[in-house]
Amino acid sequence: MFKTLIEKELKEIIGSTRFAVTFGVCACLIVLAFYVGARNYQISQTRYEAAIAENFRQMEGITEWLNVNHHIYLPPNPVSSLVTGISNDIGRNIQVQGLGELRAEDSRFNNDPLFAVFRFLDLDFIFQIILSLFAILFAYNAICGEKEQGTLRLTFANGIPKDKYILGKISGSFLALALPLLIPILIGCLLLPIMGIPMSSQDWGKLALVILAGYLYFGIFLSLSVWVSGLTHRSSNAFLLLLVIWIFSVLILPRSAVLIAGRAVDVISVDEISAQKSVLNAQIWREDRDKMNEFKPSEDTEIDQIMQDFQKMMQDLSAERDQRMRELGGRLAEQRRNEQSVQERLAFSLARLSPSAAFSLAVMNLAGTSIDLKQHFLDAASAYQQSYASFMREKTGGTLKGGGMVMVFRRDGDDVTPKEIDPQEIPVFQYQPPSVATVFNASFLDFGLLALFNILFFAGAYTTFLRYDVR
Amino acid sequence: MNETLSQIDGSGRQESMLVAAHLSKRYEDGVLALDDLSLAVAPGEIYAMLGGNGAGKTTTINLFLNFIDPTSGQAIVDGIVTHEEPLTARQKIAYVSENVMLYTNFTALQNLDYFARLGGQNDYSKEEYRTALLRVGLQEEAHGKRLRDFSKGMRQKCGIAIAILKDAPAILLDEPTSGLDPKAGLEFISLLDDLRSEGKAILMSTHDIFRAKQIANTIGIMNEGKLVMQKTTEELRGENLEELYVNYMVSGMAVAS
Repeated sequence: MFKTLIEKELKEIIGSTRFAVTFGVCACLIVLAFYVGARNYQISQTRYEAAIAENFRQMEGITEWLNVNHHIYLPPNPVSSLVTGISNDIGRNIQVQGLGELRAEDSRFNNDPLFAVFRFLDLDFIFQIILSLFAILFAYNAICGEKEQGTLRLTFANGIPKDKYILGKISGSFLALALPLLIPILIGCLLLPIMGIPMSSQDWGKLALVILAGYLYFGIFLSLSVWVSGLTHRSSNAFLLLLVIWIFSVLILPRSAVLIAGRAVDVISVDEISAQKSVLNAQIWREDRDKMNEFKPSEDTEIDQIMQDFQKMMQDLSAERDQRMRELGGRLAEQRRNEQSVQERLAFSLARLSPSAAFSLAVMNLAGTSIDLKQHFLDAASAYQQSYASFMREKTGGTLKGGGMVMVFRRDGDDVTPKEIDPQEIPVFQYQPPSVATVFNASFLDFGLLALFNILFFAGAYTTFLRYDVR
Repeated sequence: MNETLSQIDGSGRQESMLVAAHLSKRYEDGVLALDDLSLAVAPGEIYAMLGGNGAGKTTTINLFLNFIDPTSGQAIVDGIVTHEEPLTARQKIAYVSENVMLYTNFTALQNLDYFARLGGQNDYSKEEYRTALLRVGLQEEAHGKRLRDFSKGMRQKCGIAIAILKDAPAILLDEPTSGLDPKAGLEFISLLDDLRSEGKAILMSTHDIFRAKQIANTIGIMNEGKLVMQKTTEELRGENLEELYVNYMVSGMAVAS
């Protein structure tokens, strides 16, 4: 009997014109999302390679390592191109000097603001908007529609247990809608290698988890729709109610959560931090100037020795200045991070009341394009800066850029032609995107929530139908 | 009449396939839809319930199907009290509603296949479905068409075919001739006669006095939830049923003899 109920749902849904039209649209959009993601990856990869080449080109002809302006770039990632998250909003370029604060600049949306207007057509968008609507469109009248049609009465004139019926209804609808959606998803997955996107096994694992999250999210709206359909006696009422829930859940709740958290928790602003740093910087410069004025070598000292002493003093001052600035910067950054963390926790906790937010956060974590991306990039850059600093110290004999003043001196009469530096000697920056295990751990809470919403709504649909008047 | 009630109350219960024993239903809004209804339909009998809108005919059918629980009394199908074992009871009932609304996206054959399986009949062949459809008067060219293109009468025929295929010992018909043209109505009466000969117990609610008189073994007139008259067609011989019906309806006379 259960098989009969499932088969009937499959035949009824798949055989309908409504399905043919909406499935066609969804299939096109899903394949398009994969195509757009793949194209974006190709473009980003080209830009990334061009930026690295330009970085090295600008070093051509330089004879002093201290004159090097070295940049590192956030490499594009195939899965990140499919679920863009905040990857287009953060800077992808960091100037590394060996000392000083690191700052990510040149975000894609900063350079090409047009793309920020309507954002990208990525899998997050497709699943979040289209799949939820797809589920609602086919399940809003699952129960009340059958009642209106009169088929529910005829069905229950047979010895059908209500629990089997509702299980068959939900399972059948899920299979009828979810299985066909695998076709465009698989076509999209096939497009990636065809378009030459280098997907590692880790990337495939992440993509599989993104798709799994999509199906969990789809299941939520399906069981919610069946539940609402069992709470109402008219299809039109069910549709209207579901539309309101959809708008609230997908469009209003996540945005409101961020607004509320923004109001509730104050975070020290970047401008405020800059102001405090400027004050300290000015104070340090005043102190350094006094110390420089106090530098008085004894008259019988050799000029070389004077220069060495002065250089040493300058380096000491630079190190001290860097230390103090770093301390203040670190303290303010930590304060900002802590406050931001509280703000984010509040915003995400509120937003997670919406399945859409839970889904979005899950897939962004899986794709490595969550709000942590910027910090992850900065942490990687910071670690790289250590090795870059060692390299530069080795090359310059201990002097680093980024501390402020650099003195290079040469004796009169030196006629040795300086040798050009070899940029290829610079340590290579390698950004390691988080592993599947890491991203799964990061998205575990949201996966749990998606599963919980499924269970809750399924239980709601199930218990409501057990009491449903089938007449 | 008295004989029938003795079957309800006493040892004759097993003989009747469908029994309403002092069946009453008061809805939550306080409306008494059915008031102490007692009737019995034996295998090979057709019982026609006549009555206007709100007389309690559909409530009686709903109680036999256990779509609602009785306030008091029992609806019994083949010895099974419906509100105690609704699933078992429903397996013994085939049902045709007033407006048969099947799955419009399915063809007639697909609808038959689905409802036959729901009714526990998993072994029918396509030929048997076609035979059932032909038996109810649905021409072969319509068998593969989707029901969205069917008229009300064609859907009604499909519904009757579904009831036949269930092969249940009891059949409940709620205004079954309402959508049928005169020719189809005649065919339907002939079909009911066949089913009766096969030993089915048939309880039919209808407004159609003419058809009721033509086919039923027993006719009951209901008004405001009460069975105000119940007579066999033999008892009715020589009486003008139309006149009786109008009199009972107008005067609202209580209690059948």
